[in-house]
Amino acid sequence: MLDHSLTLEQQVEALIRGPQYAMRQAEKDAVLTTILRELCAEIAENCPPYDRFLRRLGPSSADWQTISDVPPLPVSMFKQFLLAAVPPEKIVRELHSSSTSGGQPSRIVIDKTTAFRQTRALASILKEHLGGHRRPYLVLDAEESAGAGDTLTARGAAIRGVGNFASETVYGMNKQPDGDMAADWPRIEDFFQRHCHEPVLLFGFTFMVWTRFVEQSERRAVKFQASKAQLLHSGGWKKLAAQAVTKEDFTRRTANVLSCDLGGILDFYGMVEQVGTVFVDCESGNKHAPAFADVLIRRPYTLQPAEIGQTGIIELISVLPTSYPGQALITEDQGVLVGVDDCPCGRLGGYFRFTKRIEQAETRGCGDTFAQAREIR
Amino acid sequence: MSVWRITPRGVEPSGDRLTPIVESLDRRRAGLAKIPVDSLVALLADFSARLLRDPRTKSLEGCMFLSAWLGSDNLRRLLELNLNGNPSYLDGFVPYGRNYLAAKPQGLVAMWMAGNVATLPMFSLIPALLAKNVCLLKLAYPEPEGTDRLLAVLAESQAGDVRGADLLEAAAVVWFDYRNRELNEQMSLAADVKIIWGGAEAIKAITALPRREHCAEIVFGPKYSIGVIDRKKIQSDPEKLDQAVAGFVRDIAVFDQRACSAPQTIFVERNARLSLRELGGLFAKHLAKLPPKPGLDPYTTMQIVNVRAAWAMDEEKDVIASADGANWTVCLDRDVSLKQAVQSRTIFLSEVDSWQQVVPLLSPKVQTVGVAFGDRDDIITFAEVASQAGVARCVRPGLMNNHESPWDGKLLINQLVRWVMLKP
Repeated sequence: MLDHSLTLEQQVEALIRGPQYAMRQAEKDAVLTTILRELCAEIAENCPPYDRFLRRLGPSSADWQTISDVPPLPVSMFKQFLLAAVPPEKIVRELHSSSTSGGQPSRIVIDKTTAFRQTRALASILKEHLGGHRRPYLVLDAEESAGAGDTLTARGAAIRGVGNFASETVYGMNKQPDGDMAADWPRIEDFFQRHCHEPVLLFGFTFMVWTRFVEQSERRAVKFQASKAQLLHSGGWKKLAAQAVTKEDFTRRTANVLSCDLGGILDFYGMVEQVGTVFVDCESGNKHAPAFADVLIRRPYTLQPAEIGQTGIIELISVLPTSYPGQALITEDQGVLVGVDDCPCGRLGGYFRFTKRIEQAETRGCGDTFAQAREIR
Repeated sequence: MSVWRITPRGVEPSGDRLTPIVESLDRRRAGLAKIPVDSLVALLADFSARLLRDPRTKSLEGCMFLSAWLGSDNLRRLLELNLNGNPSYLDGFVPYGRNYLAAKPQGLVAMWMAGNVATLPMFSLIPALLAKNVCLLKLAYPEPEGTDRLLAVLAESQAGDVRGADLLEAAAVVWFDYRNRELNEQMSLAADVKIIWGGAEAIKAITALPRREHCAEIVFGPKYSIGVIDRKKIQSDPEKLDQAVAGFVRDIAVFDQRACSAPQTIFVERNARLSLRELGGLFAKHLAKLPPKPGLDPYTTMQIVNVRAAWAMDEEKDVIASADGANWTVCLDRDVSLKQAVQSRTIFLSEVDSWQQVVPLLSPKVQTVGVAFGDRDDIITFAEVASQAGVARCVRPGLMNNHESPWDGKLLINQLVRWVMLKP
């Protein structure tokens, strides 16, 4: 349980440092709600738009009894507003979404405390899934994507975060003059030859891993001897779904190319608005929230938390950010709450599965004047 | 792949050809032409009465209005307005000065429906049948959304020896995937008139289909509707203002604000009595009295959640939202603009100094304006300006979604007949 003698910062530190999946849901809800009451009030004090959001749309933070009482901020607000809770001189980095779906990218401002927490939080989560030892790291992306300087994309943040587990980093792709990515086959083959059957770590964005690595390896009839590989991948399911590639297809064919177990292919869910907080597939194929974060599945219309087995809108809770109001974010994704405290993998807390992006399923009729309607093709 | 829903007797479903249906409809033309228009009106009056009694239809959204619309007095007024004051032109040549005049059916009317309103198909089908056209109607969704129940009740209706089931022999209701170019082309080429309801992209795609040279196209949508409340209304009798707001809220609630006639933005003149927030509170009071919505899809839920947050965070704006999830939302601002429609009980109240500021926003894109003014002369002044700018209807709050003729500036039945002069 939470030690109330600790400061807010110490409480968060304790959660980052401690075991990530050892708290029962009820206990975790109580711990996080207590922190969120104080943390969100502090953020609101320094971020007037968020203050207005809380005042106009939710119960007072003093009345929050559970994390579901915290009014969730839609992630799209980071595209419309620059939401900073720290003065400009305290901002050490700005994260941008990749904006693959078009339109404005999200802008997330990071101060030193948030950056520090994000790095250690990600390490803490991955340690529970990958083990603590460093190993050769093949990034299925180009070095440019990892970025440098004051701005960073979601891809860059993830590449760097996973890089904390690297003993050696190799970038397996090159950025083409037209901006496209192409596999650097000599470099990839060299990596696998040097580390044949050793534990290696791979990371890439799902769609890129699929189109630039798996499909092309299959076309070239190449299989790598990487029986102890672990591939972390994330994002891009919308594009894969459009190609009728299921998660099972992806896992099976990727594991085949690497000659590794299916369990070596680990999908994780996360977003640039909450870097450091990732939800990695467990051995049972479910995603669990780490100690300093949580997931709520909210039912459409009522916005009430879903019951077990129900599908709804994914909301992410995290107590990491100190520089922006990213503590309770309602996403544009749907998921299903699979269970609470009883996943066969042994991890405690609620667990869920991502199902799909929320999309406009149909034309909304003649009153839908400005929106896109469907088209005869 | 195609799914046939309701077809004339003896026509077997066919996956890739509309020809059997079109040929069957062609065979019904002569029989339909012989039914006197008075008999059709009487049959529809029976249909009107049955709609409110029949358990299949009585609780269908919009059914009460449809029943009133199908009443004989209303249909006669509608026919008179559309047919030069005399519905008998539909039954044959009528003396016209020294000559004779008749209103003959156009032939086959092909209708592409939008999926937003369950009763919508009836507002195309009935005028087309009254004008004695055979009809091929394509639904927006594979699920008929209540149209099947309405047609089943029509089929059982009767007046004298005219039976609804016989009338429906002149109509086929189908669904096929909107991407099925071949079936869309067949439907378009079979048409003497095309009626198209829907959003911009659907209209663009359907009007681009090949058609015969004489085929006319009647397009409904996409449109946007608004309301205007002037300061005289707000500063006069509070009870009348309350009634006006209650009327707007009915317009917002009906068809979950998906119809092109539903208000999305309501402009409010700055006044000495109520602040924008107070007026928003009045809307909130009436919205809170509405029964729960039957459900809401995740996309619209997120649209509502997003707009609430955007309005809440903006210093220049404000928002009042229901505490029970994404039920209703009143967004308040001072932007003189037409807001992106969110629908599903989401209304934007925008304060203006004068209704004159709204005039530059009016165009043929704006279908209906709900006008709540304190002075009748001011209403007429506004209506003159608005209609000159392209607005199709100016009505009291509460009547915005009531389908009537003219609709979108068109006298539909008039466009579904060919006027023929006889000079013996």
